[in-house]
Formats: sequence, C-alpha cells, structure tokens
Amino acid sequence: MKNGRLNRTLIRNNMKSSTGGGAGDRRFQYLALSPAIVLLLLIGAFPVIYNLVLSFQSQTMLDPDTSFAGLANYQELLSDNRFWGAISHTLIIAGFALPVQLVLGLLMAHLFVGELPGKRLFIALLILPVVIAPVVAGAAWRLFLDNSFGPVNAIISWFAGGPVKLLWTVDPTLVYPTIIIVEVWQHTPFVFLLSLAALLAVDRSQVEAAQIDGASGWTVFWWITLPAIMPVLGMVMLIRFIDIMRIFEMVLSLTEGGPGTRTETLSLYTYTTGFKDFSLSYTGAIAFVTIIMMSVVLWVILGRMERGR
Amino acid sequence: MNKAKRLCAIACLAVVATWLTTAQAQPSAAQTAIEAAKQYSGSTINVVWPAGVGALGQKVFAAPLFEQLTGVKVNIVEAPPTDVYIKVVAEHRAGTGGFDVVSLVPSWLTDLSIAGIIEPLDELVDKYGFAAELQGIEPAYRNNWMTHGGKIMAIPDDGDVLLLFYRKDLFNDPANKEAFKAKYGYELAVPTTWEQFSDIGWFFTNTYQPDLYGASVIHRSGLMQYFFQERFRNAGGRFFDVDSMDAQINDEIGVKVATQLQDEAEFMPPGSENWNPVEVLTAWLSGRVAMITWWPPPGRWSEGYGTDNEALKWVPESQIKGKVGYALSPGGNPELALGWSLAVSSNSRNKELAYLYIQWVNSEEISLQRVQLPYSLRDPFRASHFESAEYRSRWDNADEYLDVLRQGAQIGMLDLSIRNTFQYEEALARAMQRLMAGEDPQEVMNEAAANWDKVTRRTGVDKQRAAYEEWAAKPNAYPQ
Repeated sequence: MKNGRLNRTLIRNNMKSSTGGGAGDRRFQYLALSPAIVLLLLIGAFPVIYNLVLSFQSQTMLDPDTSFAGLANYQELLSDNRFWGAISHTLIIAGFALPVQLVLGLLMAHLFVGELPGKRLFIALLILPVVIAPVVAGAAWRLFLDNSFGPVNAIISWFAGGPVKLLWTVDPTLVYPTIIIVEVWQHTPFVFLLSLAALLAVDRSQVEAAQIDGASGWTVFWWITLPAIMPVLGMVMLIRFIDIMRIFEMVLSLTEGGPGTRTETLSLYTYTTGFKDFSLSYTGAIAFVTIIMMSVVLWVILGRMERGR
Repeated sequence: MNKAKRLCAIACLAVVATWLTTAQAQPSAAQTAIEAAKQYSGSTINVVWPAGVGALGQKVFAAPLFEQLTGVKVNIVEAPPTDVYIKVVAEHRAGTGGFDVVSLVPSWLTDLSIAGIIEPLDELVDKYGFAAELQGIEPAYRNNWMTHGGKIMAIPDDGDVLLLFYRKDLFNDPANKEAFKAKYGYELAVPTTWEQFSDIGWFFTNTYQPDLYGASVIHRSGLMQYFFQERFRNAGGRFFDVDSMDAQINDEIGVKVATQLQDEAEFMPPGSENWNPVEVLTAWLSGRVAMITWWPPPGRWSEGYGTDNEALKWVPESQIKGKVGYALSPGGNPELALGWSLAVSSNSRNKELAYLYIQWVNSEEISLQRVQLPYSLRDPFRASHFESAEYRSRWDNADEYLDVLRQGAQIGMLDLSIRNTFQYEEALARAMQRLMAGEDPQEVMNEAAANWDKVTRRTGVDKQRAAYEEWAAKPNAYPQ
C-alpha cells in the first residue's frame, strides 16, 4: 500500500517534469541541456562563424592579411565561372547517379526479399564496393578503363574485332558517364542494404491481404510497399544527395577534375582554392556560400519529407 | 748578395710550404659540417622530402650515415612531390616548427622567400666555409636557383633537365635512313626542331606501328605544362607583357606550340593522351617508342644501371640496352624542369643544425655519392659530378650521357618562378589536359591566359611585375 502510494507520487513527479510543469523545472531542463548545446555550438557553429569572418578578409596561406576586405570575395565569387561550373558539374553527377542508384538498389533489394540460396554470401559480395575507399575505387577504375592496359577496352576491342580507342577519363564525351558509372557502382550497395532492411520490415499481412484480393505485383508495390518504405527511401536519397554534393576523392583519382575543369566538382574546386592556390579567404567565401545553399536545399527537402509524413 | 738571395728563396719556400700545409689541412665542407654537427649529438631534425623511391637516398644512405657520424637523428618526412609545397606552407602557417630542412622545387623559391618560410643562409655559408664548394655547382643552377633578393635562400640539390632519348639503332638503320630521306628530303638524324621531331615521329609510327610508335611524352600529372613552357620560350614566346602584365601564352606562338603538342599525340601510342610518367617510361624501356623527352633517369635505367636494386624493381627491365642515344630537346634550350633544392625552415628550432645537414649532404664529397645512387633520383648538378671518372665508367656510354646532361645544365631554361607560381602552373596544366582532350588550342590557351590574368590581378599587378622582372633578369629565364 505504502509502496503503491510512493510509486504514484514518483510517476506524478516524472510526468510533471516531463511535461515541463513549472518555471523552475524548465530552468533546470535548460541548465541540464546547456553543456550539450554549448558543445554543439562550438563544434557546429564556430567553424561556420570563423569561415564567415575569414571570407571578409584577404588572407592567403602566404600572406596572413586580416584586414577587412568587405564583400570583395563574394563579388568575385559571383563572377567566378569556375565556381558555378563546379556546382553544375556536381549537380550533373547527382542528377544522373542518384536516380540510377535508387532504382538499381531497390530492384536488387526486391530480389533479396524472399528466400534465396547463398543469400548471405551474395549480400556480402554485393556490398563490397561500398567498403572500398573512394580514392581507391577511382584509381582502380582508372586502371580498368586505361586504353592500353585496362581490361574494359580490351573486351570492347575483342567484340569490335579490332582496337578501339576509348579515352574514358580524358574524352569530354566519356568523362561524365565514367564518373556516374563508378559512383553508381560504388554506392548502389548502400541503397540496396537500406532498401532491403526497409522491405523486410514491410507488414506482410497487408501484402498478403492485397494479394488475396487479387492485386497485381505492381499494385502491391505501388500502394503498399512503396508508401511503407518511403520514409527510409527519403532518408537514403537525402544521405546520397549530401554525399554526392561532397564528391571528391573518386573524381580526383579518376579524372583529376579534367579535362581542364570539365569534371571539377564543388569539393575539388574548394580544395584547389584552399590547398593549391592557398586563397584562404576566398575559400572561406566558397565554403560559406556552399553551406548556405546546402542548408536551404536540405531545409526544403526535410520540410517536404515532414509534410509527406 | 748571394747569401741574401738564398735567404729570400728559403723564406719564400717556407711561406709556400706553410700555405700548402694549411691548404691541405683545410677541412672539406663535409668534414666541417660533421665536426660542427657533433655538438648537437642526440638531437633530431626533421627533413621533408618528396616521397617515393627518391626518398631512399635519404632514408637508406644519407640520414643513417649522418647519424653515425654525428649522433644527430635525421627524420625523413615523406610527402608526395606535388604536396611538399602544401605541407611546407601549411606547417609554416600553423607555426609547428615541424620541419627543419625543406625540400623545394626552385620555382617555389620566390613564394617561399617572400612569405618568410625559408631562412637566408649567407651567414651560415660564410661561417662554415661552404662558399668555395658552392662554386662547384653548375652555373645555371647556382645563378638561378639559389638566391632571392640577393640572398642565398636555397642550395640546388638536383640537376633536373628535360632531355631527348632516342633509339640509336633505329636512327642508324640504313633502310630507315633511305626511306626517311626519300619521304622528307633530308637526312634522318636527331631532331633539332620540333618540326623535325614531328616528321621523325610520324615516320617511325607509319613504319613500325603497332609494335613501335614514333615518340611519347608525359601528358598527365600536371607535368606536360613544363614542355609547353620550354617550347613556348624556345619559339620566342614571352610569358607576360611587362607593361601591362597581361599573359601572352595565348599569342600566335603559344597557340602554335599548343597545336603542335596536340598534333604530336597523333603519332604517339594510342591512348597516350592520358599517360603518366611511369606509362611513358614503360613504353620506352620495353622498346615500344623511338623517342621520349623526359627527365634524366631513363638514360641510366635504359642501360640497366642500378635497376637490379630492390628499390628499383618497379622499373621494367630494359629491352633497349646499348641502343640509346641522348640529346638536348629539339628547339635548343631545354627546360630545367622541376629540380629540387634544400633550404632551412624559418620555423625550425634548430636552424644551424638543419643548415649543417644541408651543407654535408650537398657537399662535393657526399653529393657525388648520392647522384650515383641508382635509387636517389638526384641528377648531377656539380662540375665534379659531370667530370667524375667513376660516374663516367658506370655504363658504356655514360660519358655521352653526362656530357649531354651538362650541356643542358649550361643552356637550360628556368621554370617560371614568380608570386603564386603554383596557380599559374595549375592553370597551364589544366589547359594541357584540355588540349589532350582534343579541344581547340586557341580557345584553350585563351582561357589559360585569362586564368593567368586573374591570378595576376588577385596577386597585385605591381607586386607581380616586380617578381617577374627579377625572375626574367636571371640569366636562364629566356633563351640567351
């Protein structure tokens, strides 16, 4: 009896505090959260603020000029064709690679939903590309695609019945397909894994009920499976989009951003201005504009996802 | 009178004998450095060095020997050659004092000197009596790579120069000679112009393909821009208009050179538009090309010199031993492309010791050993290296090799070295990539020139003009 009263009191207190009962409790909550908030601000906000300050100066690695330069870097950025080119190159890769990864990953996952002999082994083999470092993947593909020593051109030449010269990492018409192929090869397994997990979590009873009612495979997928896995697919799309917007090592080792700057991505250009040109303040401006643009895009996507739920 | 004469003669003899004894007892620069460095026994210095096989010359030979002689530990910090600059500047900026000795490509000298990243060495050179041995460095390197603003900032340590390697057996073949003359109307001989190089390249490709092609050059890795720099200046080009500081690499000469470079790829092995140094080397050593333009090492490796060494196992076995000739690049003045110098970091906590290591490693005695190490990738840069009887007997025509190398060192041209050199090189390297992708040479060079102008404006036209004028005044900036 006494224990029961005590428990009820405790529960009441807990409920009171969890619903934010009094002003004193709220203060305590803020106080308890403050170390974490301060830490997050330090980790997240400080670099952004530092970048912002840097972008209003004219610092280079060779000349630590901290005087105020106004909007000079931003003005230069607006007319910097290489910067806008880098954004469009990155979006081209995202625009082609992302849908292909999603469709392929989902199709592959669909194949693995049922029972399959050697399923674990196949899954282990399929996810191998995703564990390879992008710089290694890029270098390996560069070798595969080498005109003189690579197996890809050798196979094509064999089918063509004579030597075929395809400069996959040099020819302007082939460089994008090459990057997209490698990107799809490397990251489709990631989409596959998460899609498989989502598919396995779909309520089988709903699927079976629809099938008993005579629904076709496509109808079941479109009206039951897809809505059920949509939250996961949405997150996968978001993660892959962010990843592709940061694409760097693979492109560096595959095409070095070339020919010229034709495949230079946003990250590659930022790296070049920061670590080759040493233009720190200008790089700060690029980084800040990138952060703003990405934040807006993410805000829109997350908003849509939230509304969709 | 006779007695006085005798006394005078004896006195003179005594003076001469004393001078000779003193002179003989004068320690060499290497000995001086070792004796002075002994007081730092137990210390450690960090030396940043281009990574790869070339670093073995330090890790296997120089650093352990220095430690054995002085008790000073030399820690070799390797960085990819293209990243050495970034690493050096970043460490300086962070003020870590992480490096004591800095390896630098001479074209970085202006930037590193102006930014105060490297230390003037004049006082230390005088203090440790290195001036006389510095005179032994071949003038092109000594007069161009060593000083900035009238001060010694770095010590040249690698005699890089672009050479032409050609297959003597193919050039001397009577059937080839006859067929070539019949087609082109002049004798088949080592090309002295790029037009001849092109004719000969096409001739060999048409005669021998697919087993052998006319030539190959490095088109990738950002190195091709050195070939442009060389050919542009030999053809009469000037990088900038001094008054306006506008880039002139897109003028008639620049576009002509760019077009030549693009056209030449046609007679080179299929796919060589994308070849890096190792791919060119492989094609050369396996006997699949008749000519290459490269840095000095293939001359040694073609004859198999040192390639049995474990460190050089990656070098393909030479199929062309005894068949190789050496010549200056067509056009006249070869590019003293890249090269390496040594300097003391201004952030070093042990500047004097760092300098002593440089003096020792660069001395007549030690450098002669280092340039003969098959794996050190250091090429001769002192008169004594070129004249060394030991080196000249290393393989059958080593004397011919050293003579051509020396000739190149005497008339070679410097890489452009002004403020933000790296940015100009990067823009030019990207232009070369676009050329190899088959884009319009005029358009490519226009964009490269626009990028150069952008860098110049960002750097400051007046500042850059001053740097350019100092560089252009050096004896080997443009053909003499």
